[in-house]
Amino acid sequence: MLNAMLRKEFILILRDKHALAALFIMPSIFILIMSMALKDTFDTDRPFIRYAIIDQDQTEISFKIVSALSNNKTLEQHNKKITEQDQLLKALNSGLHFALTIPKGFAEQFDNEKASRLLHLNVASDVKQDMLALFKGELTRVITILRIEEMLQELEAVLPGITEKTDPFMHSTNNRIEVHFNGLKPDQHPSSTQQSVPSWIVFGMFFIIIPMSTIFINERKQNTLMRMQAMNISIPILFAGKIIPYMLINQIQVWLMIGVGVFIVPLLGADALTLGNSLPGLFMVSTGLSLAAIGTSIVIAVSVNTVEQATTIGGIINILFGAIGGVMVPKFFMPQSMQTLSNISPMSWGLEGFLDIFLRALSSRAVLTESLALAGFGIVLLFIAWAIFARRTRNGT
Amino acid sequence: MIRIENLSKRYNTKLALDQLSMHIKKGVIFGLLGPNGAGKTTLIAILNGLSSFEKGSIEIFGLALNSHLKQIRKRCTFIPQSLALYENLSVVENLRFFAGIQLIAGSELKNNLDYAISVNHLENLLDQKAATLSGGQKRRLNIAIGLLNNPEILYFDEPTIGIDPESRNDILETIRSFKEDNKTVIYTSHYMDEIEKICDEAAIINHGKIVLQGNLQAMLKENRDPSMSLESLFIQLTSHHWDDGHA
Repeated sequence: MLNAMLRKEFILILRDKHALAALFIMPSIFILIMSMALKDTFDTDRPFIRYAIIDQDQTEISFKIVSALSNNKTLEQHNKKITEQDQLLKALNSGLHFALTIPKGFAEQFDNEKASRLLHLNVASDVKQDMLALFKGELTRVITILRIEEMLQELEAVLPGITEKTDPFMHSTNNRIEVHFNGLKPDQHPSSTQQSVPSWIVFGMFFIIIPMSTIFINERKQNTLMRMQAMNISIPILFAGKIIPYMLINQIQVWLMIGVGVFIVPLLGADALTLGNSLPGLFMVSTGLSLAAIGTSIVIAVSVNTVEQATTIGGIINILFGAIGGVMVPKFFMPQSMQTLSNISPMSWGLEGFLDIFLRALSSRAVLTESLALAGFGIVLLFIAWAIFARRTRNGT
Repeated sequence: MIRIENLSKRYNTKLALDQLSMHIKKGVIFGLLGPNGAGKTTLIAILNGLSSFEKGSIEIFGLALNSHLKQIRKRCTFIPQSLALYENLSVVENLRFFAGIQLIAGSELKNNLDYAISVNHLENLLDQKAATLSGGQKRRLNIAIGLLNNPEILYFDEPTIGIDPESRNDILETIRSFKEDNKTVIYTSHYMDEIEKICDEAAIINHGKIVLQGNLQAMLKENRDPSMSLESLFIQLTSHHWDDGHA
């Protein structure tokens, strides 16, 4: 009985080109686009602060500041020379973040402890606080090192060799810090692929709402479901005939999209997806997520009257769950209040589960809560769908 | 074969069936007539266990419907008015699916498939997608699906709606042929000429009550002058009750 239902459901889906595109091609393309679009966001050596220096002092000290800033890989120096105020404003309105003016006479005041506001920093109006703090911090570090070097040279007369002795400490501070991203191996860093593959797997899995509810509503409208009931098919068997094929489809989606992340994304220049260490964990999250997506689909299918209503409501729910759940905009870009709000979306639970596996390389134990929450959510919705469907069948609506 | 006693069914405040009693013998083609909303579809739904009822009793094959629903269903079939099939499956895929969910397999499957296909002249259409069939061919497939369990009772709910006269005649001939196999047919239709053509017995239902029931020929003899058709009798009986109800 179940065999016949599974076979029928698979044939119907395989013959529906639009459903295939929505279930397999669309999320794969999203993965490719988002992995490429966010590639630079996760590159720790990427220059992301653009600045210009207007050196009116033209002294050894000012040259050293220019040189020291240019050594920082996260800073990108503006390649056009700025000499006039108009040029400065124009540049700040078109992508330049900071314009540092080293005024004439700066070197003379450099060792004057009472002198203040020696440098002038123009900041673009859209610069965020964290970026300003980062640039000011780097500038302060450069100036402090230059001042210490000067002082060391003065001390050289009384403490010969002190400059040579302190030099490694002054210029190799970065080498003394090992950055280790939580859950990753020491030489690994988070990548756009690790972020985007889980996101679009989650989103793609929920896209079964549309083909599943479309088939179900057509069956109900044409009285095929009623005919099946007259053939002794109970509601649990009827639902199982939907749940099992779509769970298999969801698993195919997961592995297809993992394949895109592992094999195709690197061909386009982004990092390949690494799978983490827990296949059971991956299976647990994907099964929980599948139940949540199927539960949502069946509730929609039994509640609405037309295919148009199902596709509209299904589409809206999918996009809302995705937007709130951190699929479209990664959670870490969201303010704290939105990050808290995102917990109401089951897509967020699934996404966190996948990130635990792919990004943080955690074990199946770490994703148990998310997996159970997703499965529970799906099962509750399936019971609600059962009640609605039984009532509608009794009333003949 | 089918015994219905004092059957009542209510939808909220509306009484759909009111103390309805009926006895249908084995091997007859029984016409169920009535205007829209008379209660025909409700009665068919109840007989197939698709709708509940508040009062009365139903026995089919001598078994109480409520307590032996699964056994009864295995020996009956319901052919709905709508095309309850899958447009994206071929004819044979549709037949195999509906046979599969009824757990029909092996030689039984082969025999029943052959019977359903030959009775409905579907031999040359087996690999064709249902979506590409004509209206009449789809109706025949709809009937073929209903024959897969080799039923003893067939419930037809307006099976000839929206098809050309030739296909309609084909279907009526097919239904008439079930009598030769000693099958019982309960047939609802708006077309009086169809009922006159194929049915042995009939009941006219209005407002959930039986207005007239019995052997069709006897009914026509008793209630009309020689020039009166079943249609005139139906209009006379149902409009009379309508007037009564609104007096």
